[in-house]
Amino acid sequence: MKIEENILNDVSRVSLEGRFDADTCDTVEAFIRERIEKGRSQFVLNMENVPFISSAGLRVVIIIARELRNEYQGDLHISALQPTVNKVFEISGLNNVLRIFDDAEDATLGFSK
Amino acid sequence: MNIRFWGVRGSIATPLTNAELAAKLETAVKLSIKAGLTDKKQVSGFIRSLPLHIRQTVGGDTACVEVKAADKLLILDAGTGLRRLGLDLVKRYRGNPIEAHILLTHTHWDHINGIPFFVPAFSSKNKLTFYSPYPGLKARLKNQQNPEYFPAPLSSAFKFVRLNDCDKFQIGDVKIETIPLNHPGGSYSYKITCGDKTMVYATDSEYKELSAGSLKPFTDFFHSADILIFDAQYTMLENVEKEDWGHSNVFIGIDMALEAGVKKLVFIHHEPAYNDKKLYNILKKAKEYVDINQSEGGLELFLAFEGLSMTL
Ligand SMILES: [Zn+2]
Ligand SMILES: [Zn+2]
Repeated sequence: MKIEENILNDVSRVSLEGRFDADTCDTVEAFIRERIEKGRSQFVLNMENVPFISSAGLRVVIIIARELRNEYQGDLHISALQPTVNKVFEISGLNNVLRIFDDAEDATLGFSK
Repeated sequence: MNIRFWGVRGSIATPLTNAELAAKLETAVKLSIKAGLTDKKQVSGFIRSLPLHIRQTVGGDTACVEVKAADKLLILDAGTGLRRLGLDLVKRYRGNPIEAHILLTHTHWDHINGIPFFVPAFSSKNKLTFYSPYPGLKARLKNQQNPEYFPAPLSSAFKFVRLNDCDKFQIGDVKIETIPLNHPGGSYSYKITCGDKTMVYATDSEYKELSAGSLKPFTDFFHSADILIFDAQYTMLENVEKEDWGHSNVFIGIDMALEAGVKKLVFIHHEPAYNDKKLYNILKKAKEYVDINQSEGGLELFLAFEGLSMTL
């Protein structure tokens, strides 16, 4: 799993590359948590280059989003889901509670609206 | 090995309501009109053609699964489903002594409530043995039948065997292994092996750490099981909301089963607030998820319902 961060207008855009599953969930969670501890609360999780997500990845997404909303008045926006990953978000019901955008720009702008 | 489900509900016994029954009848009658039924002879075939959530219910009794392996009778958990199993055993054995080995995951109500109603315990000629790693299991079960809670005391027909946390033992030719699960107050999984067939019963467990390393003790235990019976009480979202309630969901079950190379995955311990329609919808979603996640179809999914029988 490759993880990159870009900061734009106080929004931390975290781009993942690779499978988001039991082998990589801890790495992603630790990466975001480190930034929450440094005071960031608005995140975009860009998943343009994630071909696969499992329950382990879904759990990290929902746990982090919930924590950001409940404890930091922030949020975790999701962007650029590949079709199969999008399908998993639908099947698991996560699409009903998360804000999902077509691309990272929209997801970043989503915080100013 | 034969497996039969007598109780599949979690938490509390959940009878079908009159409103739910009426809704099933209404749907069935409407569909029969649509199908143009004109003769009584068509009725039973038509009913068999209806989806499971319309023509039956998963059932309301709590955890109880019968396993027949070699010539041994094993019973996994003693929830309210144990009552009907007891009546069936009395019928089947026709007065011959019943020898049953009852493996308890833990002593939450939904896993022990059937014991006072287990008719075979009313006869001292039956050999009934409880197995669990809990110290003082007998005292716990006795307490359930204190006069404050129940009119009759615990039957003296029961014998007790105390297991270790991670135990390996045999009942005749049947090999049994245990490991602890993640559940408030504890719960244990049982792996039953007979010849070259293996089934695992793993209910009442929550998996919050989903990294491959954290799940390894469990996926190792489930490895290559022909059948894994798995606690999938909640939807994924409700599972997160009900953190530390000690239960799981279908998606985690599928990922663990795929990792472990399980052949058949059976979801059990259904949430009392979920009706049949919702439960079968969860199964449908689970099947979509497994179709995405496995290239060649090795894993089969099932929703446990009362009366479901599986042969290995
Ligand atoms: Zn339970
Ligand atoms: Zn329990």
